[in-house]
Amino acid sequence: MNHYHKSPQPPKWATTLLEWRCPDELLEEIGGDLQELFEEQVEEIGEKQARKEYMLAVLRYLQPFAFKHQPKIYPSTNYTTMFQNYITVALRHLKRNRVFSIINISGLSLGLACCMLIFLYTKDEVSYDRFHDNNPNIYRITKKFIKPGNSSESKDSNTGYLQGPIFASGVPEIQSFVRFQSHRRDIKLGNDINSQEVFLTDPDFFSVFTFPLLAGNPKTALQEPPSVVISEDMARKHFGSTDVVGKTLLLKDSYDSNSQFEPYAVTGVARKSPQNSSIKFDVLLPIIVKNDEIANKENWFNSFLNTFVVLQSGADIKSVEATMDRVYQADAKEGMRIIAERFGMKDKTVYALQPFTDMHLNKELPAQNGLVDSSNPMFSYILSGIALFILLIACINFINLTVARSLKRAKEIGVRKVIGGDRTHLMIQFLGESFVLCFIAFVLAILLVQLALPTFNQLSNKALALSYLFDAKLVLGYIGLFLITGLLAGFYPAVVLSSYNPVQTLYSRFKLSGKNYLQKILVILQFSLASFLIMGTLTIYSQFNYLTTRELGYDDKNVIGISKSNLTPKEAQLFRQELLKNPAFVEVAPKNGGNWYTIAKINGDIQINFKYETVDQAYLPLFNIPIVQGRNFSADFPADSTQSVLVNETFVKKAEWKDPIGQEVNFWYDNNQKYKVIGVVKDHHFEALNTEIKPQLFTMKPSNGYGMAFIKIKPGTETSSLNHLEKTYKQLFPINPYSYEFKSEENLKAYEAEAKWKQIILFGTVLTIFISCIGLFGLATLSAERRTKEIGIRKVLGASVTSIVQLLTWDFLKLVSFSFLFAFPAAWYAMQQWLQNYPYQVDIKDWAFILTAGVVILVAFFTVSFQSIKAARINPAKNLRSE
Amino acid sequence: MRKAYLGEFEELVLLTTAILNGEAYGVSVAKELKKLSGRSVSIAAVHISLHRLLDKGLVNSHMGGATMSRGGRRKRIFTVTVAGKHILQEIHDTRNQMWEMLPKTSFNLEPGFKD
Repeated sequence: MNHYHKSPQPPKWATTLLEWRCPDELLEEIGGDLQELFEEQVEEIGEKQARKEYMLAVLRYLQPFAFKHQPKIYPSTNYTTMFQNYITVALRHLKRNRVFSIINISGLSLGLACCMLIFLYTKDEVSYDRFHDNNPNIYRITKKFIKPGNSSESKDSNTGYLQGPIFASGVPEIQSFVRFQSHRRDIKLGNDINSQEVFLTDPDFFSVFTFPLLAGNPKTALQEPPSVVISEDMARKHFGSTDVVGKTLLLKDSYDSNSQFEPYAVTGVARKSPQNSSIKFDVLLPIIVKNDEIANKENWFNSFLNTFVVLQSGADIKSVEATMDRVYQADAKEGMRIIAERFGMKDKTVYALQPFTDMHLNKELPAQNGLVDSSNPMFSYILSGIALFILLIACINFINLTVARSLKRAKEIGVRKVIGGDRTHLMIQFLGESFVLCFIAFVLAILLVQLALPTFNQLSNKALALSYLFDAKLVLGYIGLFLITGLLAGFYPAVVLSSYNPVQTLYSRFKLSGKNYLQKILVILQFSLASFLIMGTLTIYSQFNYLTTRELGYDDKNVIGISKSNLTPKEAQLFRQELLKNPAFVEVAPKNGGNWYTIAKINGDIQINFKYETVDQAYLPLFNIPIVQGRNFSADFPADSTQSVLVNETFVKKAEWKDPIGQEVNFWYDNNQKYKVIGVVKDHHFEALNTEIKPQLFTMKPSNGYGMAFIKIKPGTETSSLNHLEKTYKQLFPINPYSYEFKSEENLKAYEAEAKWKQIILFGTVLTIFISCIGLFGLATLSAERRTKEIGIRKVLGASVTSIVQLLTWDFLKLVSFSFLFAFPAAWYAMQQWLQNYPYQVDIKDWAFILTAGVVILVAFFTVSFQSIKAARINPAKNLRSE
Repeated sequence: MRKAYLGEFEELVLLTTAILNGEAYGVSVAKELKKLSGRSVSIAAVHISLHRLLDKGLVNSHMGGATMSRGGRRKRIFTVTVAGKHILQEIHDTRNQMWEMLPKTSFNLEPGFKD
């Protein structure tokens, strides 16, 4: 081409198109003619018009019938030999460049393995609850509360006894309903008593949900109380076989102290619930609701279970919801009136339906009340992000190394072109090479996934198996992944390499023209991703650290919790006396079991939802929770146990009290009885730190009964105290199951999810840095190789090793530092988003940025300098000898 | 000898090639045609015709010299073969005969009418 003057040129794309479509033997004359015509027309009708004509002419040449049965002017190239040669050459290259093959294959296989794992994970996440035959017609009943004046909305998914039967009879589209309530039963086996979570449900359970029975009739299994359906695990544990229909199980209500062990007939044995199910049960019992419970319309507002309904196929949700609203308004009128009168409940309740399959990943309406495994979709995003990062970085390595290494292959390319290999062949050759490599990586990745699955399952709380891999969609996904990776990694190098000019490559030493901006950009991108992840990890770590070390506002050290259903104040007193005889015990404080929430009306119009605790005077001192105003409960004031309450500071704020002491609270739980506030308790984190401190109220009413007790012991006496505790417990409460837990351990459990995710993310980050660095290592090696002569000359002229190392590393470190410009703002923004999930959050610290930068630069420096030092120390006589 | 069939456009291209006598290549043929027949001719059509004529053995071709104005690419020069000349001759004769047979009254034209 003529470079000396800028004459108007025809449109490049048209020329390219012509070159691609036109038979080679004709290209020269046709291209020439078109060019000639174009240049003439520029003179005649102007450049713009000429360009148009040129394009039109090219398009005319593209007609399919334009060139038929050409006589071959040149002899044809020998394709088969060519392809054999490609494969030989590809394998030879892999073998010869061990370092690069290892870098590329390890990077790609790690990236692919991560992507495969994440595929598995997300597939499992989205497949939750989809195995039921009645989908998509299964819905869960949910509620929306609208505050007066539509000021705010809240949602929940709790329902009670009434919603299911009343909606099922009043709404024609609802075919059946199933209530699902979590409960506890003590199960007796020989002399052993275990407390176990059981589920109470309606007879339609097995026709609504697809849970196959190994034994028993699904239609009648839950019809006739006292019957019980157990899981195969439970059957094996208790009876040693699954063929146990007709056998009896001794059960006792854990919450009701007056109940006795009663025999239940086993009517069915269910296969183990699938791992991607929100309903996982070991024991199912028919739900028994007394008639007066159904008749009491206040029970519309008493919610503690899940109700599922099956709609007719094709039912319109909106119209079903409208009908539900009408049914509710009509049936609950009386209940609403009572509630409004007594507690000032002015919220409007609107019932809605949530698709069953939508529940698992729903943050607003999660799986709860006995439904398990509710999951935060955010983790799927984070994981997918990391996996894609890793794969992308591995592909970038491949691109950079292939292009940089291609200088060595320039001669090969030149020879091929001269012999008659055209550009398409070369492209195919190089793409083929990248696919060969990708294929090896892919096979390795499958092995890696095999190895990593057990650990990954443990971390992600799943039971994923490789058998999942034989799912058609996943297999397609993996094949797609393989193809995309091969293309992503191979396409650009193929384009670059096949464009080399054979004359230049075969004549003297060939240099990559231009500044190689792409390589620089890719390195920057790589390290941006790596720095971003390091920042993320640091933030997640510091947030987690904060959650686990933040002052809870109470002292959870050396405190043991035990549960005892229906612990009466008298029993508690006796228990305390017995334990305190032993000097290792400091204090014993009973408390209600579980979490109780209720609503109070303050000054007639403020409504407060609060946590409602039943304790005695020992509770606050045991945990060192300070009283900020007023006094604690005391045995000296007999009225305390009947009409005094303590509230926390948040409660005072919500109630808008200036002077809380002596204020009155009347709350729902105890039909309109008024209580007096005698003290204000300092706010403390009685729930996990991922939730805000809620209003809290303490009473001492003996009628409520306790469900557990905290025991504070002297430090260092754990073993002996636990022994003594167990003995005393079994002596006093022989029919109750004994189990204990240290409060501090229980507090840590709240952050188990974070702890696991922390590990997964850390692992991902380490991988990312590792893969980035091996890529950088490869580039540094190449650059040192390319500059051996230069280094030799510099040394001869008196440069020191240090200055040469500096020279070689500086280039790369510049790029790495540059990456922070992009990584830090992005990381800062992403972390802010993530921290929004926590009501109590750390600030993103300046030192985190500095630390990240430091780590990245150090690691990069070591990686690069290793090669540079090697190159700089070579005796210059060696590499200047030839040329 | 089998009568080769020539389309009207092909015939014109062949004639032009003959007229240009050794100077015929894509662009020159197209230009000449435009000049002589007054219709606008696409270069692609000319090329395709030339190559068809090549297939039919009515023209020969060889690569000519390169020039700067063609971006250094060479021309393919077309020359009429003996068979080509024969065909042109034949067509010319047939036409002439037919013209002779035109009744003089049918329209006021002289044979050898030029536009």
